[in-house]
Amino acid sequence: MAALPARARADYDYLIKLLLIGDSGVGKSCLLLRFSDGSFTTSFITTIGIDFKIRTIELDGKRIKLQIWDTAGQERFRTITTAYYRGAMGILLVYDVTDESSFNNIRNWIRNIEQHASDNVNKILVGNKADMDESKRAVPTSKGQALADEYGIKFFETSAKTNLNVEEVFFSIGRDIKQRLSDTDSKSEPSTIKINQDQGANAGQAAQKSSCCGS
Amino acid sequence: MRALKQTPTPSSPDPNSNSPPSSSSLSSASSSWVHLRSVLFVVTSSSPASSSSSDRGRLKSPWSRKKRKHALSPQQWRSLYTPDGKLRDGGLKFLKKVRSGGVDPSIRAEVWPFLLGVYDLTSSEEERDAVRVQKRKEYERLRKQCRSLLKFGDESMKLNDDDMNCHKEGGIQHAAHGDGSSMNCNKEGDNQHVAHGDDSSMNCNKEGDNQHVAHGDDSSMNCNKEGDNQHVAHGDDSPSLGDVISARESISSDERGLNSGVLLEEDDSSRGMTNADSSVLNTESSDSDSSGDPEVSHTFPSSDGREDNDPDFTSKNLSPLVEVTSKFRSNEDFTTWQRIIRLDAVRANAEWIAYAPSQAAVSDDKARHLAEVVGLKDYDHLESSRIFHASRLVTILEAYALYDPEIGYCQGMSDLLSPIITVITEDHEAFWCFVGFMRKARHNFRLDEVGIRKQLNIVSRIIKFKDSHLYRHLQNLEAEDCFFVYRMVVVLFRRELTFEQTLCLWEVMWADQAAIRAGVGKSAWSRIRQRAPPTEDLLLYAIAASVLQKRKLIIERYNSMDEIIRECNSMAGQLDVWKLLDGAHDLVVTLHEKIETSI
Repeated sequence: MAALPARARADYDYLIKLLLIGDSGVGKSCLLLRFSDGSFTTSFITTIGIDFKIRTIELDGKRIKLQIWDTAGQERFRTITTAYYRGAMGILLVYDVTDESSFNNIRNWIRNIEQHASDNVNKILVGNKADMDESKRAVPTSKGQALADEYGIKFFETSAKTNLNVEEVFFSIGRDIKQRLSDTDSKSEPSTIKINQDQGANAGQAAQKSSCCGS
Repeated sequence: MRALKQTPTPSSPDPNSNSPPSSSSLSSASSSWVHLRSVLFVVTSSSPASSSSSDRGRLKSPWSRKKRKHALSPQQWRSLYTPDGKLRDGGLKFLKKVRSGGVDPSIRAEVWPFLLGVYDLTSSEEERDAVRVQKRKEYERLRKQCRSLLKFGDESMKLNDDDMNCHKEGGIQHAAHGDGSSMNCNKEGDNQHVAHGDDSSMNCNKEGDNQHVAHGDDSSMNCNKEGDNQHVAHGDDSPSLGDVISARESISSDERGLNSGVLLEEDDSSRGMTNADSSVLNTESSDSDSSGDPEVSHTFPSSDGREDNDPDFTSKNLSPLVEVTSKFRSNEDFTTWQRIIRLDAVRANAEWIAYAPSQAAVSDDKARHLAEVVGLKDYDHLESSRIFHASRLVTILEAYALYDPEIGYCQGMSDLLSPIITVITEDHEAFWCFVGFMRKARHNFRLDEVGIRKQLNIVSRIIKFKDSHLYRHLQNLEAEDCFFVYRMVVVLFRRELTFEQTLCLWEVMWADQAAIRAGVGKSAWSRIRQRAPPTEDLLLYAIAASVLQKRKLIIERYNSMDEIIRECNSMAGQLDVWKLLDGAHDLVVTLHEKIETSI
């Protein structure tokens, strides 16, 4: 579904659909709860299927309604959750910095995106639980950054618990998508953007990553 | 546009109808009492679905104080037995009672094994004792394998190998075996030791079979059969009388075994270990040196017996090892399950605490000890009751993953197990109840998602037949696949209903399924609820009913599937389980033939 510029009950200028994916237990629901409700809980019951929350933010004077879909992490739910890839304009790939396998699986998740999402979907890599003691850390920041660079996407380390970089992640991807959409709006030929993004799956987006937190 | 079709919850009053639903002439009256009910529900709709206790009178459905909704009481339950401990009537009256009002919380631990097919409805007390001992042994064996796998799967847990290996052996043969079996059902404790015969040959056969039984749809029928045939069949391993009596406070044989530190049967334990290693861990690590172990087929729970039950399982000529390995290879592996099980266990919903005071009051030492034994992780932030609960979840879910490797573990299963371990304090009994529950529910968790799609399709057709207007609206939104009820289907309303309400719904549903297993014909039910025969799919009718309750909102206000998903996902705390069941039964009355024939 495309972005809907203000219409009928104009409580927003853009509606942006985001999707959180990543292994079970990396903290997708906690990130979402932190961003949408400003709260945190250590024991979040496991997500079954799919759910979403909404938060409206303001960017450059525009009201952006973020509809953020939260998915179950277990591989077994993948057929069901991939049905939602197509409608997503942005995808947050989340891993747990204390769990190396969740990081290694990011490549699988990206493969899923390539198969099921729109070609021009924005992506962002998120290493969650960055508040954890260094002794527990299994994925150094540099490794996360390197992977993000490889795919030409932005990268943040976050903590839903301490509220580290949570706003930044969502605002960052929201801003990029808004930019893409307004570019599309301003051109009468929407596919232009798409072509650009297509060839630039790596290179094209790499140019955008200047503002991310990096290592 | 105004909705004119009749639904289970229309808002048009019909003052002429005041006949209670379970009385005669429902066929013609059904539509009118539906109206009446809806009026009453409107009047009482302030009912908070969160009414928490077991007091059904507080659920505001007016029927709950009248003809129906009385739970099976302890007195009634006792009166249902003949002197030799059989249920009168082959359990018919029992099922009818549960079907219309659920079970009183104080007797759930006794009643559920019947509802869930652990015990045959026609079994005698003696037979049930035999089944219990038998099944306990099986469970212990599964746990033994789990511990071996845990040890191999995660070196970092620093478990004491000797403890891990030996204590269980001690448990199985001696202490723990007797410890647990007396706990739950009061009567068992008294009578259990009566029937230990020496017919160990039968026992052996049974063990061989049982171990692999659980996969097909008819697995619990097998269990029942065991009950039938096996009354005196405890072999050498029967616990001694003294053992049995000892164990009121035993909560987990894991724990007790470890405490007792018995060091027995090293051979056996290492055998279990290598078997498990070779068959399960092959996918992960190829460093197993024991793939040729001749005992594999005896100890790994997914070989021969299963073929008879599981139509998918056709490779009779392959060795069990090959079968198992290939299964695991194509799926997630046991190590993955172990990881996710632990993850889910520590974040389980804590709603159960109010319903199990004794478990809630578990000592910190005990809880942490058990947590260590089962290799729980990241639990420091939890209070001891939740650590304890999480550890029990791990214990049983792991055993289940081995028992049913085709399903293994899937998120959501912990939601289904949590109420069971809340009610049933003994792990092995909880395990078999869970197996009984999963007999049907396992299809929700299949890797190919066929089970879930089939059920969504049934919900879709119920709505289509009942309310074409709503169905057309869903079609317009491309939501007629009813994906929005996905979560309700997967975890059987556990997320939408309160703890107590969930149990009531499940009990009613289980009673239907038990009636079908027992071959209770439709005619037997005509007196209690006209033309609403027991159905395998009561849950799906209830789900459809919950959607139909919102039809007006959906049709008039919602213009995308997203909005409907949000509506459904936020039903939590707003549903009245008895109203839901009324709606479901109405739908069964009018649609079951259509639905069943068009599947």
